[in-house]
Amino acid sequence: MRLLSKLGLAATAWLLALGAASADTTVKWLHIEVNPAQVKIWEEVARAYEASHPGVKIEMQFLENEAYKAKLPTILQSKDRPNIIYSWAGGVLKAQVEAGVLDDITDQIKGYSDTITPAALAAFARDGRNYGLPIALSQVGFVYNKELMAKANVDPAAIKTWDDLLAAVKALKAAGVTPIVVGGADKWPLHFYWTHLAVRIGGKPAFDAALRGENGGFAGETFQKSGELFKQLVDLQPFQNGFLGFKNPQAVGYFGDGKAAMTLAISSVYNLQRALAADKVGLSEDKIGWFDFPVVAGGKGAPTDTLGGITGWLVTKGSPKEAVDFLKYFISKDVQTRLASGNFIVPVVKGAEAGLNNAFMKRIADNLSKSNYHQNFYDQSLGPSVGRVVNDVSAEIAGGSMNPQDAAKAIEAAWKQGN
Amino acid sequence: MARRIASSPSLDLVEAAPAPVVVRGPAWDGRYTVLILFLPPALLLFTVFVVVPIGEAAWYSAFSWNGFGKPTNWIGLDNYRFVLETRAFWLALRNNGLIIAVSLLVQLPLALTLALMLAERFRGAVALRMLFFMPYILAEIATGLIFSFVYDGDYGLVASIWRFFGAEAPHLLASTDTAMLAILIVIVWKYFGFHMMLFIAALQGLDKNLVEAARIDGATRGQVLRHVVIPLLYPTIRLSVFFAIIGSLQLFDLVMPLTRGGPADSSNTLVSFLYNNGISRMRVGYGSAVGVILFTICVTFAFTYKRWFMRDE
Amino acid sequence: MNSVETTRPPLDPVVLYKALFLAAIAAFVLVPLLATVLGGFKSLGELRVNPFGLPQHWEWQNYADILFSKRYWQLLRNSLVISTLAVTLTLIVASMAAFAFAHVRFFGSSMLLSYLTLGLLFPAATAVLPLFIKVRDLGLLDTYFGVALPQVAFSLAMSVLLLRRFFKDIPYELLEAALVDGCSYIKFFRYVTLPLSRPILATVGTITFVNSWNAYLLPLVMLNTDELYPWPLGIMVYQGEYSSEWHLILAFITLTILPTIILFIFAQRHIVAGLTAGAVKG
Repeated sequence: MRLLSKLGLAATAWLLALGAASADTTVKWLHIEVNPAQVKIWEEVARAYEASHPGVKIEMQFLENEAYKAKLPTILQSKDRPNIIYSWAGGVLKAQVEAGVLDDITDQIKGYSDTITPAALAAFARDGRNYGLPIALSQVGFVYNKELMAKANVDPAAIKTWDDLLAAVKALKAAGVTPIVVGGADKWPLHFYWTHLAVRIGGKPAFDAALRGENGGFAGETFQKSGELFKQLVDLQPFQNGFLGFKNPQAVGYFGDGKAAMTLAISSVYNLQRALAADKVGLSEDKIGWFDFPVVAGGKGAPTDTLGGITGWLVTKGSPKEAVDFLKYFISKDVQTRLASGNFIVPVVKGAEAGLNNAFMKRIADNLSKSNYHQNFYDQSLGPSVGRVVNDVSAEIAGGSMNPQDAAKAIEAAWKQGN
Repeated sequence: MARRIASSPSLDLVEAAPAPVVVRGPAWDGRYTVLILFLPPALLLFTVFVVVPIGEAAWYSAFSWNGFGKPTNWIGLDNYRFVLETRAFWLALRNNGLIIAVSLLVQLPLALTLALMLAERFRGAVALRMLFFMPYILAEIATGLIFSFVYDGDYGLVASIWRFFGAEAPHLLASTDTAMLAILIVIVWKYFGFHMMLFIAALQGLDKNLVEAARIDGATRGQVLRHVVIPLLYPTIRLSVFFAIIGSLQLFDLVMPLTRGGPADSSNTLVSFLYNNGISRMRVGYGSAVGVILFTICVTFAFTYKRWFMRDE
Repeated sequence: MNSVETTRPPLDPVVLYKALFLAAIAAFVLVPLLATVLGGFKSLGELRVNPFGLPQHWEWQNYADILFSKRYWQLLRNSLVISTLAVTLTLIVASMAAFAFAHVRFFGSSMLLSYLTLGLLFPAATAVLPLFIKVRDLGLLDTYFGVALPQVAFSLAMSVLLLRRFFKDIPYELLEAALVDGCSYIKFFRYVTLPLSRPILATVGTITFVNSWNAYLLPLVMLNTDELYPWPLGIMVYQGEYSSEWHLILAFITLTILPTIILFIFAQRHIVAGLTAGAVKG
């Protein structure tokens, strides 16, 4: 009998040991970051977390931006899905929440959530429940190459209106400089123009009205005019040769190589252009500058209104609790300060902006804090299917194959079709 | 062009009258064992993964559905209307037409000419056949990537040719005017060898006596070609056309690495349109409607073609 | 002068044009391929100024880095697993069905065969969305089978037809004699039909293998974890990661098409036979 019970005990102990061994948790983290310097910091953070949390493994996976967006709907349906995924919030997040593919993490981040800028946190919540955490804010505006602007005698500080921009483009062309580089193959870099013009022309009221279907919805005057003004720019042929074939990383690298005077981009391009330049050095800080997207004469939007992103991380359905735990560790004041001091991000954790140490990023942070209307990227805020139509028509206008009126109508039609 | 490695004119094979063994006596029940064991796996796989999905596509196409949960939002034929109202759909259809046109007007004559040359025996003929056939077995993805290098405006072969003449290279894949043209060239590059092989095999199977007889009757080489050889090749030509058209309707892999259907949807094929607008946006209803349209085109074509052009075989 | 020259047979201008034409086509085929292989041996800087020619400095490092990376071998292994699954299943399932269709007369035989041949009429892409949902509901997303099973299903029609025609050529007397001797159909299939059909099995196997090895759309839709990616998916991800670093991408392309080319050299007989088998049946 005793022997038997001993055996039983031994067996139980063995089973327990097995259980403990298999209790090793892997958190799969899918990201789309192409800046190796930033990825390196993330990796260090992940390794540090593993060191202080034995039994947890953080596994990083990469997908290229466009491939990620195209594949995400199917990724979320597979059993073996990643636990932490990248997100731009907005309508895409809404669709994901409605589909029930995300974990509600409200309870797990109680207390911790107070450390985050409320507006940024709110972007990843719906009906008072949190589904993810923000990591960075960004603004869309023009980054320019000082040398090339000087070559054409263009004063970037004086570009205040849309007409100023058009004049600058003409001057640059006359001086034999490529005025603007854009990653047209990815389409979304082109949608910045159309969207930001809409923000300037109609302001927040126009967007809200369109969502409600008033004033002709997205086929209304504001959005037709956005297309018309965008077309004015396109007609000047301001973009680099073959711009519709450039993916965004190629375009950013092109700017970093000093081959174009301006690029309308997310503020993080400031840093990214160095990593993606052919020589991996790119343009140093003193060679580039920033000006806000120009205002439009008679526009209803305030000059301080901003277009940009609130990016962050979502936790997918059925993830281990370590996923959230790691996110809290990752989006901490320490790490945020570190990323801010490398000028990779405008941070979302309160107090971390103290880490920002150059004029460029401080200016972005300042702009964002002054903004009363921060419009999220249309291709995200309007949801997966309508957002992509905005990208489609922006590329069509840029390619000269669609007129502004039809473009606005196409978006409205997509909005009405819903999914 | 023919996308998949295929080997026969499909429908015809069924027609060959079956002459199964007629078995009497004790082996009678052995027949049923075979049927019960041997047929179900194939029928089951085929039904579950081919037939049922097509039926479901028809069903899903009546819903507005993002693929999560069950479809509930019935919208009737609206998805078909949405598809027909999409400009990019008509562009894709036009592009499929272009592919067919190039297959018939450029690729087929090229393949036939080469076959006539290489069907003869001379040193190097076999090596050349194999060389011309090789692009056909390379993956479309690899082919697409190779040519996106060739066409690259900064690094590619095309760029260096232009630079040689002191001009700034065009980005062929980045212009709505030239992207489709560039893809058409790749299509010819990849598939002419397949059609050439079809013709070579046919030529080798020809009755040499007919050709000999014509020669003895004093016909010139050209006359023999026009009045004897080519007519004898008609069945193969029709087959080659069949493959070219079916292949064009399936083309997808090649487009993705080259242009992803861009710029501004100018180089989508029907399948890449379906991928870009249905799958990657998870619009199951809309995408299924495109699938059903594509299916209808394929089946209508196959039956019509068979009825009108292959009936004598 | 002339009389001396004419002792050699004059060069027929037709032959000359022919040779030039063939050379031009050969160059059209070869140049992109050679540029790819050689491009992998160059540095990015050299590639820019010299995309055509031989490298001035042979950069073995590009190739070595890929050959010693886990990633490359993982991609090849995944492709091999999926293709092997597809080939094995196709051969088993299709040869059994083909045998039944070839040697057993039963009610509905030709109807069922016509039903199967419907698969020849349309590409997998038409039903890819419902197929995705089906595979998801079966719990096969992100598995090798989720890719291989639909591939088998779509290759069945062609395979069954090819095999059936070959099986039917096996002399009727052989089967009759065997049956009279008390040999069962199944034994006959196992010990007579299959061994006699090696050439056609090799042909069908090769076609299925090449199709599966090169496939992109099905794996793209069915697989989400990069540990499972076959090489066409992997190379697209690689290209996304290294966007303009063409020297690395070209080296990667070269190494991934290498297995296909080797297979082609060894199995060209089967590949060519496979595609001409039905075409010239007369």
